Amino acid sequence: MNDLGFPVDLIRTLSLTMVITSVVAVEARRLRTSAYAYAVQALILVILLLSYARVNPALYWWAATAFVTKAVLTPWFLLRYIGKTQEMEVEPLIGFGPSVVVAGVLMIVFFRLTHGQVEILAPSPIAREEVFRTNLAVASTVFVLGIYAVLSRRDAVKTVIGLCLLENGVHLSLVSLAPEISETALFGIASEVVVTVFLLLYVIEGIYRVFGTTDTFRLRELQW
Amino acid sequence: MIESPTLSPSLLPAAAFLLPVLAGILVLSLGRLGHRFCQGVSLLTAAFLALAGILMAVRAVRGEILVGWGNELRVDALSALMVLVIGGIGLLTTLYSFRYLSKGEMGERVGVVRAERRLALFYFLLLWFLGTMTWAAVTNNIIMLYVAVEATTLTSGLLVAFFWDRRALEAGYKYLMLLTIGITFALFGCVVVYAAAAATGGLGGREALLISEVRGVAEMIPHRTSLFAVALLVIGFGTKAGLAPFHPWLPDAHAEAPTPVSVLLSGVMIKVAIYALARTVSIFFPVIPQLTVFAVALGSFTMVLGVVLALVQDDLKRLLAYSSVSQMGYVLAGVGLGTYLGYYGGFFHLLNHAIFKALLFMSVGAVVYATGVRKVSDLGGLARRMPVTGACFLVGALAIAGFPPFNGFMSKLTVYLALAGSGLWWAVVIAIFTSILTMVALIRPAYRVFWAAPAGPADRFAEVREVPATVWGPMVVLALACLILGVAPQLAYGLLSRAAEVLAAAGG
Repeated sequence: MNDLGFPVDLIRTLSLTMVITSVVAVEARRLRTSAYAYAVQALILVILLLSYARVNPALYWWAATAFVTKAVLTPWFLLRYIGKTQEMEVEPLIGFGPSVVVAGVLMIVFFRLTHGQVEILAPSPIAREEVFRTNLAVASTVFVLGIYAVLSRRDAVKTVIGLCLLENGVHLSLVSLAPEISETALFGIASEVVVTVFLLLYVIEGIYRVFGTTDTFRLRELQW
Repeated sequence: MIESPTLSPSLLPAAAFLLPVLAGILVLSLGRLGHRFCQGVSLLTAAFLALAGILMAVRAVRGEILVGWGNELRVDALSALMVLVIGGIGLLTTLYSFRYLSKGEMGERVGVVRAERRLALFYFLLLWFLGTMTWAAVTNNIIMLYVAVEATTLTSGLLVAFFWDRRALEAGYKYLMLLTIGITFALFGCVVVYAAAAATGGLGGREALLISEVRGVAEMIPHRTSLFAVALLVIGFGTKAGLAPFHPWLPDAHAEAPTPVSVLLSGVMIKVAIYALARTVSIFFPVIPQLTVFAVALGSFTMVLGVVLALVQDDLKRLLAYSSVSQMGYVLAGVGLGTYLGYYGGFFHLLNHAIFKALLFMSVGAVVYATGVRKVSDLGGLARRMPVTGACFLVGALAIAGFPPFNGFMSKLTVYLALAGSGLWWAVVIAIFTSILTMVALIRPAYRVFWAAPAGPADRFAEVREVPATVWGPMVVLALACLILGVAPQLAYGLLSRAAEVLAAAGG
């Protein structure tokens, strides 16, 4: 426990695990493995929120919402649609080995960068203290890994998983940046993510039926 | 300067966005009562929204700011202008859709029987689309602004992919994916603005969420944090507004959606995004003066890129979509200046573009309805067969090209004057050059489609007839609006001046 009453070691361990689940979600070639990695990440996010909630009880509500939307509904949608389309990811733009290296470098560089330069993100003195500093560094790292997945993956379902990581990064940052945000706003943000994932997967299923693939590079009907 | 506005508690802001949502649920749950029921409910709701826009505009001109739910909802002149655009274009589009959806692209791409079954879903999504756009215009909560703008993407995503064929699915996927990625940056930006405002100590936690309050403490926000927030907001809301280089989703979505949806996307939705951008980024104009040059440069780049890409299009809907990108550049160049005249010109062009782009998309939709053809090179000689549509398209083309006496001339002139007044002559030259290219991009296809000889047999379109009155009626109303606002621009002065003052007074 630190002076602010946070279980620092637990939060640091969970934060590190959260970053690792991001890398697994991005790098796994089996889409089911990616979806499970995402589900594990969502559960860690919920536990992290509960850890922070010891000091800010408003986060209990956020944790409950995140559990339903991120740890239950989103993985369920993903697994359901993976079952309807294909199990293996379409070969990405970058090979497995180089991709793991890029993700690893991104992870280390971005974590250190944001942990050191957190003032830009966190204008309040308390947000610069541990454990909020680690929270923001992890949030930014997960966000960047999500962008990497979106940019480097050809598979539409994998791109959706990348989008989910992107969203998780921003949502995790709310712990430090927006602790007093209203329940209505939290509900709005969380429910929109689920609806987005559902709609995207619904369209992707249509694409799979019509195009016979989830390879986004094959979507070439509309050029210029 | 006009006297300070007064705050008036009102139920109108809440009703304006909740009624379309409730009507949408009604349409979806009772859709089995038939298409006339769906259309009737949709038309009545859109009429209510248009009326709400007029009432809000009248009260805003009188100097009132309508507030609801403890200042969570706030309708000043700028919000009233947006609701007026959403309601007005929404009403005409709903009317236009009645006959259009029974034949036109819908019958060809979906199949008439299937189209009939899907009408309830169409009107449900349409009403929610109108409702969420209105919500974005009336909310004063910076996080809910993100929620509402993202909600407009979700409600319109299935409308873009509505035909469910190869082209529509591709457009729908790109639309949902790119806009959601973009808008996540905006969420990050909104959260940073809120956190920074709360950290200044000048506002309580809840007040730091209210856009109207954040303006007061902008100067206390650290410079680097402000820059970071602005970058995120520009990427986020800029993607949604179709600003270059974040525009690639726009031509696909606007061209492949059913035409009534194209009208709302190009005519209204991208304006809601630029509204969100103006509302949030203008907070930082006084503390980051360099922002204005950046915004004008981004606007100029958007103008030129959009029109150059429009010039090479053979598909009429894609041509109009790229021209929308270009025209958003004018709006950004005006609004981005951060001066009263810049805001006035930008908002005037926003209003005018909503009118003539809706008119142009409806005219192209009428051509597709009557001929089933979208390519300029496959069309020709339609003016004798479709005189009303031909005249309406020509009015829209002249208006968007900035020809007097139409409305586009007046708003573009205002933007030029605002740019010149700020000493940005290079931007004036780019804007005028873009206007000339716009004229070429629009007048050339207008001549080809309506007055030149058709490609292939001379009697190829001999069976083509003018579209029904419910299709050309809304077009004529919009064409008249182009002329009236061009001849008597002072009609919009009260509202536009108040709207410009909202941001100019606070932002600089």
